Amino acid sequence: MPTLSTFRKLDMLRARLREQRKSITKTVAICGGTGCQAACSRDVIDAVKKELSGQNLSEEVRLCVTGCHGFCEQGPVMVIEPGNTFYCHVTSDDAPEIVSRTVARGELVERLLYTDPVSGKKIQREAEIPFYMAQDRQLLSQNRMVDPCSIEDYIAAGGYSALTKVLKGISPGDVVSQIKASGLRGRGGGGFPTGRKWSECREAPGDEKYVICNADEGDPGAYMDRCVLEGNPHLVLEGMMIGAWAVGAKKGYIYVRNEYPLAVKHSRVAVKQARELGLLGDNILGSSFSFDVEIARGGGAFVCGESTALMASIEGQVGEPRPKDVHTVIDGLYHRPTTLNNVETWANVPAIILNGPAWFASKGTRGSTGTKILALTGRIKNTGLVEVDMGTTIKTVVYDIGGGGVNGNKIKAVQIGGPSGGCLPVDKFTLPVDFDALIEAGSMVGSGSMVVMDEESCMVDVAKYFLTFLQDESCGKCVPCRLGIDRMLEIVTDITNGRGTPQQLDLLEELADTVSQTALCGLGKTAPNPVLTTLRYFREEYEAHIKHKKCPARVCKALITYSIDAGKCNGCGVCLQGCMHNAITGKKKQAHVIDAALCQKCGICRSECKFDAVLVA
Amino acid sequence: MQPRTLDRILQGRRSQPNQLIEVLQDIQEDSGYIPEAAMRDVAQELGVPLMEVYRVASFYKAFRLKPSGKNVLTVCMGTACHVRGARLVLDQATGQLGVNPGEVTRDGFFSIERVNCLGACALGPIVVENRSYRHHMTPGKLRTLIKDISRQKTKGARNANA
Amino acid sequence: MLQYVNVNIDGAIIHAIKGASVLDTAIEYGFCIPHLCHVPNLSDIGACRLCVVEHIVNGRANVTTSCTLHMEEGMVVQTNTDRVRNLRRNLAELLVAQAPNSRAIQDIAVRCGVRKVRYPFRNDDCVLCGRCVRACAEIWRAHAIGFVGRGKERHVDHPFGVRPKFCKQCDYCIQLCPMTITPCNGPMKPGEERFCGNCESQLIIAEETGGCSWCRLGEGFGCGRYVGSKAR
Repeated sequence: MPTLSTFRKLDMLRARLREQRKSITKTVAICGGTGCQAACSRDVIDAVKKELSGQNLSEEVRLCVTGCHGFCEQGPVMVIEPGNTFYCHVTSDDAPEIVSRTVARGELVERLLYTDPVSGKKIQREAEIPFYMAQDRQLLSQNRMVDPCSIEDYIAAGGYSALTKVLKGISPGDVVSQIKASGLRGRGGGGFPTGRKWSECREAPGDEKYVICNADEGDPGAYMDRCVLEGNPHLVLEGMMIGAWAVGAKKGYIYVRNEYPLAVKHSRVAVKQARELGLLGDNILGSSFSFDVEIARGGGAFVCGESTALMASIEGQVGEPRPKDVHTVIDGLYHRPTTLNNVETWANVPAIILNGPAWFASKGTRGSTGTKILALTGRIKNTGLVEVDMGTTIKTVVYDIGGGGVNGNKIKAVQIGGPSGGCLPVDKFTLPVDFDALIEAGSMVGSGSMVVMDEESCMVDVAKYFLTFLQDESCGKCVPCRLGIDRMLEIVTDITNGRGTPQQLDLLEELADTVSQTALCGLGKTAPNPVLTTLRYFREEYEAHIKHKKCPARVCKALITYSIDAGKCNGCGVCLQGCMHNAITGKKKQAHVIDAALCQKCGICRSECKFDAVLVA
Repeated sequence: MQPRTLDRILQGRRSQPNQLIEVLQDIQEDSGYIPEAAMRDVAQELGVPLMEVYRVASFYKAFRLKPSGKNVLTVCMGTACHVRGARLVLDQATGQLGVNPGEVTRDGFFSIERVNCLGACALGPIVVENRSYRHHMTPGKLRTLIKDISRQKTKGARNANA
Repeated sequence: MLQYVNVNIDGAIIHAIKGASVLDTAIEYGFCIPHLCHVPNLSDIGACRLCVVEHIVNGRANVTTSCTLHMEEGMVVQTNTDRVRNLRRNLAELLVAQAPNSRAIQDIAVRCGVRKVRYPFRNDDCVLCGRCVRACAEIWRAHAIGFVGRGKERHVDHPFGVRPKFCKQCDYCIQLCPMTITPCNGPMKPGEERFCGNCESQLIIAEETGGCSWCRLGEGFGCGRYVGSKAR
């Protein structure tokens, strides 16, 4: 395709692509995201392709391999238009039937329809699935319409018209004003006002400036950035271009974590395609704007999600954070003014330009405008990516969208914001998903990961988990983080082993306070949050471990015992075979017994027993 | 590591210290680890002190300084996987193979790695086996998987001796 | 061309060199701010966090390390508030519990107000202050030692664990290392770790309002008050 050297050429290309797509009456959109690929969606895609050509339908049916739809637990997922039919758990064996019945004749294959876990009913149309209905999928809905490896799809769907609007007639200063007026705040964790960041960078002295997309997404439990970058990389690119125009940058980087190979691949393809069309390079669309992007891969370090560590990593150095007494918008990458924003933040920019800041600000709350993608996972029925208006209550997300707890268990807490965030108990679920409201409660929106915990989760064990994670990921440079987290973990481990004392709780709080005030970077500063919130809201669990040497959730290995209920055990021997520590003895068809001295409480026998005969007390 | 391969990796990157991580990524992908000789060459060709190359290679988890096992089992230890019992899956791996995460079995056939979140959280617990993502893993499923892969090894040995 | 700015340190108006660190300037003017990883005339990395001060901006007090904070016109800094003294005490407690086998670390702990150690002792032979690494990189530019690994695994080593031929054997690394200063009553073997808490000169400073008293720790340690630094 020839280079688009003028605005008109882009408009003409868009019109031509739309014309071409008019003859296609049917679309089969199959999710090719990492999650569905784990469930073998590649086989489904190949099988459907084969069937379509075998049944001579390739001309009138478009097979679109899309990015992540967000409903990963139901994968591989497929949406067929017309009809908006939603199929889940599709296998390659289903392909012939899907094509011959649904695609060709509009008939439904009942067994592939989604069953609502709350009502028990089958639902045909994607738009009627309660999981999707309660959401406001401004960003995610685009994922199921475009093939991420096709710039034509993006352009046909209206892509790069925001960039056109900006380059045609909105000055950099005005772009900054619009972003400011929209109230957009950083979606990666900090929640810093994006407009203010761009404004400071624009005014910083220097000719050489950079924009960076932070796709390091290290929060365990967070995968919204993966979904947006894998599924719609051009949306992110367009946002970055608009930002670069606004702050005066000519070079940008997308820093993708090494654990997201598909996101790296799709970003590279997107950049290559944009360059081929002249949407990246010199004098874009005939304007005075020149800009190019490079993809940088992470090396496997959560700390590189911190802005100065990320920049050090792009510079080829270790990802050790630097002191930020001078902000990175003034002294950033290679000591030049740099605007670093999260994937989701950049992705929101084109729509703000196209629809105006007032449209964006009309959603959400006064302090937190727009929508936010949340990763809802853990002990809940409907897990997946959820996009809601800011200000939606946690209760709505967990129960209306999430469908409530699994196995009839009572939900106990929600961990929001990753290792920098905190655990909130059920009586705080009336709080809205709002930057300021959650900070007041001791947690934070953070990246938007929400992990639901129920009565089978021990909150002291959760604190231990996060401290272990942070100790593993700490760069180790500064004393409060390296030694402070280590000692906090030592104390919490003592508590989970039944060796805790009340004095240790006081010491834990004092140490947590010191670490949060003196650590060099955000990782260390927020490291105490999981400990502090669990102490604040679940102190009784800590006290049970200390005073009574008991773990109420029956998780902490040192405080529980495994045994077999002789009444339920029928001597099938499955547990004996699975036990790696030779702790189970018993003759065939006779009740088996666990030797507590040898038992390592690995839980394998319990998970394998089909008769619920293994007890934990 | 083949000199020609290293040459290809270094093309367009010589004397550019900021390319260090990209170069190491490519070496890791090619050889499965970063050999000492490669680090010395890279230091010279990029213009980075040897100490710095070694420092970067040891800092990032993506880089291994020793060869891994023939089959790498990576267990995700992210929060969502954790609350679904990832710890038990990891314990199964270490117990069955007799090595800790980061180590290789004596016959060099397996090694275990931990990773802090792969981003497939709704499908956890996740184990990646040679680039293949296995979802909803349980200790039992992992035991079967390891047995199946081990069977291939004896099959391979038998074919080699035949 | 040196530029000068007027700054406020603990209520005193100081005529400081613009861009010099608050730590260098404070030491030069006789304010004692405890520090470990700072070495006069080497780069500052803000690793030990002992030199924290309160930087007053728009009525708010931000806690930050004085070694990485650089002098600007009108800057207001407080070096000895209760808040920073408490923070320093807790940090020093962590250090001495980790590496008690050094008189320098023990003195710093006393000087920062540690009276008892509430953590089980360990006996590390390195506090990861990085003085040796920076000396090797910045004075001779040999890069014969450096930090290796991350987090708990972080340690100082030669490339591949073997002393390279380009090591100049200048011994600067050894001279700057706080762990080579043996405790007064001899080295502490594993199991013998304890908090001395006896050093009189440091006890005196701890009671005072933060002025320099030309202490032995500073002399043995290469404190900027003795050595002279960029703030002069």
